[in-house]
Amino acid sequence: MSARNSDRSINIAVIAMGGQGGGVLSKWILDLAQSQGYIAQYTSVPGVAQRTGATIYYIELFPMSLAQKAGREPILALMPVEGNVDIVIASELMEAGRAVVRGFVSKETTLIASDHRDYAIVEKQVMGDGRKPGQPVKEAAGNAAGRFICFDMDSAARNAGSVISSVLFGALAGSKALPFERETFEETIKLTNKAVAANLKGFAAGYETAQQVSPPGEALASSHRKDLPTAGKRVAPLLKEVHETFPPETHFLVTEALKKTLDYHGLDYAREYIEHMRTIIDVDRSCGGERKQWRLSQEMARYLALAMCYQDTFRVADQKTRRNRFTRFREDVKADENQIVNVSEFMHPRYQEICEMMPAPLGRACLNNGMLTRLLSPFFKSGKRVSTTKLRGFLVLYTVARLRWLRKISYKHHEEMSWIQEWMQRVFASAKVDYELACEVAGLQRLIKGYGDTHARGLKNYQRIITAFDNLKSSQQTPAVLAKWKKAALQDEEGVALDKALAG
Amino acid sequence: MAERSFAAEVQQLRTPGGEVFKGEGILAVTKALLQSGVSYVGGYQGAPISHLMDVLSDAEDVLDELGIHFEASASEASAAAMLAASVNYPLRGAVTWKSTVGTNVASDALASVASSGVVGGALVIIGEDYGEGSSIMQERSHAFAMKSQMWLLDPRPNLTSIVDMVEHGFQLSEASNTPVMLELRIRACHVHGSFTTKDNKRPDFTLREAMENPVRDYDRVVLPPSNFLHEVEKIEERWPAAVEFIKANRLNEFLGGQDGPAGIIVQGGLYNTLIRAMQMLGLSDVYGQTDIPIYCMNVTYPLIDQEIIGFCADKKSVLVVEEGQPDYIEQAIHSILRKKGVETKLYGKDVLPMAGEYTAQAIQTGLKRFFSDQEPNGLALTSSSELPSEHARSELGEIVPARPVGFCTGCPERPVFTAMKLVQRNLGKFHVSCDIGCHLFSILPPFNIGNTTMGYGLGWSGASAFNTTSDQRTVSIMGDGGFWHNGLTSGVGNAVFNKNDNVLVIVDNGYSAATGGQDILSSRAENASKSTKNPISKAIEGLGIRWQRTVHTYDIGKMVRVLTEAMTTPSKGPKVIIAEGECMLNEQRRVKPQRNKMIKDGKRVVRRRFGVDSDTCTGDHACIRLSGCPSLTIKDNPDPLREDPVAYVNNDCVGCGVCGEVAHAAILCPSFYRAELIYNPSLWDKLRSGLRNAVIGFLQRRIDARRRDLEILEAYS
Repeated sequence: MSARNSDRSINIAVIAMGGQGGGVLSKWILDLAQSQGYIAQYTSVPGVAQRTGATIYYIELFPMSLAQKAGREPILALMPVEGNVDIVIASELMEAGRAVVRGFVSKETTLIASDHRDYAIVEKQVMGDGRKPGQPVKEAAGNAAGRFICFDMDSAARNAGSVISSVLFGALAGSKALPFERETFEETIKLTNKAVAANLKGFAAGYETAQQVSPPGEALASSHRKDLPTAGKRVAPLLKEVHETFPPETHFLVTEALKKTLDYHGLDYAREYIEHMRTIIDVDRSCGGERKQWRLSQEMARYLALAMCYQDTFRVADQKTRRNRFTRFREDVKADENQIVNVSEFMHPRYQEICEMMPAPLGRACLNNGMLTRLLSPFFKSGKRVSTTKLRGFLVLYTVARLRWLRKISYKHHEEMSWIQEWMQRVFASAKVDYELACEVAGLQRLIKGYGDTHARGLKNYQRIITAFDNLKSSQQTPAVLAKWKKAALQDEEGVALDKALAG
Repeated sequence: MAERSFAAEVQQLRTPGGEVFKGEGILAVTKALLQSGVSYVGGYQGAPISHLMDVLSDAEDVLDELGIHFEASASEASAAAMLAASVNYPLRGAVTWKSTVGTNVASDALASVASSGVVGGALVIIGEDYGEGSSIMQERSHAFAMKSQMWLLDPRPNLTSIVDMVEHGFQLSEASNTPVMLELRIRACHVHGSFTTKDNKRPDFTLREAMENPVRDYDRVVLPPSNFLHEVEKIEERWPAAVEFIKANRLNEFLGGQDGPAGIIVQGGLYNTLIRAMQMLGLSDVYGQTDIPIYCMNVTYPLIDQEIIGFCADKKSVLVVEEGQPDYIEQAIHSILRKKGVETKLYGKDVLPMAGEYTAQAIQTGLKRFFSDQEPNGLALTSSSELPSEHARSELGEIVPARPVGFCTGCPERPVFTAMKLVQRNLGKFHVSCDIGCHLFSILPPFNIGNTTMGYGLGWSGASAFNTTSDQRTVSIMGDGGFWHNGLTSGVGNAVFNKNDNVLVIVDNGYSAATGGQDILSSRAENASKSTKNPISKAIEGLGIRWQRTVHTYDIGKMVRVLTEAMTTPSKGPKVIIAEGECMLNEQRRVKPQRNKMIKDGKRVVRRRFGVDSDTCTGDHACIRLSGCPSLTIKDNPDPLREDPVAYVNNDCVGCGVCGEVAHAAILCPSFYRAELIYNPSLWDKLRSGLRNAVIGFLQRRIDARRRDLEILEAYS
């Protein structure tokens, strides 16, 4: 047997998405290694990376001194091999997960990953919540890797005014997984002559955090507070009453609901909500809710508030003109302090929404009048841009918002309330038969949200589900069926999944 | 202007001989061409050799200095036909493209060049788009080499070997009067490494000399009887000459151990992966030192019978490591050995996968199977590192979402498909024939539009069968790149001639965008060495299109109206909509530095971007299903009562306005807003804004004061 040598390369896989600077990071590692007397080979499959896909950059480093001693060139591989990658750098949590799935992460591997999420289109496009859970991925990655350095590098980069690649480079230095000193990393950044100050800042953030980070543990469980939240003087008595007479399990949700209903239509409306809740809690108690952590009350606390605070024109006008909203959009668009920001809203009020604002009999008459509808609808055909930062636009919306006292006599309110009544009755009736079923019926409110077509579609789906459910034999009327149908209704806009679920 | 500029890197191409050149694979290939005294180069862009075209384009100064002509060919067929210059004249030429798709397009001309034969070295550099990262059908270019009898080089994937093989390729071509193909896999094209340079060489014979002294030789023309003579010549003269050259110059390498009962035959391009797999099994060290004899074929066609017989004869068994299918090489080796009565047992696709990329894992598994069949049995296999269990990994695989590619932030092609989705809501579904280019992403979520894609520029001909009476027309898509590549004739001309009554949408973004933003005939950009600004509308008018409309893509309302008109108009005949909008990647590359400079210079600048109000957002995500913009994403609902995440526009937004237009056109929700951020405001701006803020602020504070008594300031955290 000829002389066999145990020298081996340091193998690094960088997984990044378009625009995250995976190529820049790889080039830094390459330059760094070469400056430190290493033979470095780097390759990638760029393809359509810039067009939102994820790319694997693969780097192998080999000490020149060893090659010279051996008198031969090392044969370096062009792709990462299962169980043979020393350092995996992932620019996003799910990409770290993908590296584990592909077998790049072993007990010998240092895994450096940002735990922020960059949602894939398949998660974003879902009608409800299509987000994949991050915690199991984090746990699996932590279990797979020899060392796991994981923190929100996206925020770190933004705080430093840099790109995530610099934070990753810093975390790589901080991990000490490469036999190079911190200064040599920084020197590499300086030599590129591009955005040096920002990159060094990002680098420092990555370096320092990497040295502190211990494996991520469970998030702290949210604690229940015993004392009362601070409240304005007119609402304080109501809040106190809730905390004294409602089951503690409902306090959090009911308090949030109080905030919402107060904000939506004032104190009397909030009282109405509390009255409804009182009835619900009574029903819950009579069905043995105490033994079930008051689940029905909890569900209803949430969904009743959402149902009562339906979206109408008054509400939108109110939300668009509030002061905290002005603060928020400045933050969202990352405006500098004192920078002038002009905002235009994309609104599309239709004839229907105008009728819904009117007092119930009038609104109904206008909507049902075919000639009037045909005559007036064309005026509402195109969308409007309303500038809320200009006086005219602001004053129009401000005025509409101030007209909200008309809400309770409006056609829309009438329709919503009759739906809520019907739904609550159904919840109560179900509760007498099956506690779980009542909880599911309560949850059907989730289908109904938004405005215009979205709202109409939700309502239609609710009716279809209810009708189909009533047509089932009583032995088949299980909460599981309802849950399945609800899920199907949230699957696609065209109702294909719901059709299938109802038919099957 | 291409997506990536190599302006800095190409300076390295002037490096004199004897120095260490560091860089990417394709840059090394360019340097090797210059060292070989090439007279002309050309090709068509496409991954993985797009950058080679970009390098050549950026290197025009260097090429000019050496008297080399660079042609940005209209298609791979044009590029292949260019090799005709080497048929009569001692001119060295090289062309490049993506394979196998490009070779398919080129094969008409390639077959002709191969039949005529060449006197000047002719090299075809093909980027073999196979395996991970590939976007095309999985086939092998090997078949083209065999059918037209061109030689196929497959060098070891390090820069020294690649550069060396370019130089040898020209010599081999001239020695055997045969065009030569040099195959580079995706990763080899992009590998960064180093090699020692030689001086650049001016061509011995120039294009000008050839033009001024034309040579005519009927024997070189592919017409009877010469075509019959060519076939005989291929077998009796060119093949033996090639074999002789390959042997004499030791293009194939005998590596590893000298003797032993079992050996391995490997394609040069797979050598590094093979060594890594062997290293992990303890069969080799990192330097490729192993007891197992390896025959490394840097030339995979033709096979050198004598070398193969010599390698196999004294071995009990040999493993052939050959990627892709059919297993041309394995079959050929079988034939060579059996004809000579060599009884060596041959392994190959029985222990290695028939289909798919040969990763180190795949080769490792194959090696284990191969050696477990050998005497003495069993290898001292080194244990690999501890991995999570298969079960744990597949469970995790269920969670990790796929990331299909999609349109970039602000892409002007997105609204075309949004409009198509909205039109389908009204008119019902229709058949959509797609093409090749960025617009093909419409087939993926969230648009899910498109039934077939037949090839570059073939969008409209892909629907040409549906040229009959029907209540629903078909829509075909074509990019400007595909249009000029061949869609002009195969699509538009074909539709005019056959009186097609359907609809074509030409996505005109001003560049060959999917391949990296190269200029094309209809680009609006100035280009010193190419003729641009030749509008598509004029071209199709000349072809006889009577119904055509040009729509700016960001105007979704208009796009919906025009599409509806095209689908429903009683007017017979082909209908073409040109959807215009500059590629946003290119636009941003141009506009962003200008804007930053203006801001720095204190000039008044208004930057637009979009946002979503989380209060009013319903969490239904219809906006995302109609757009898919990467900057339109989701975040936790700030309202603890609502469970669904809300839409959110991140800071990558370039303010194209599509999401707002979508909200209008599809009547979604009033959550979208457009923000105009003013940099270096004028005095008037400040006055106006001051007045507005005073009034608005006053009214907002009034409301807040009224609500104070009703506030619950702090709840649970």
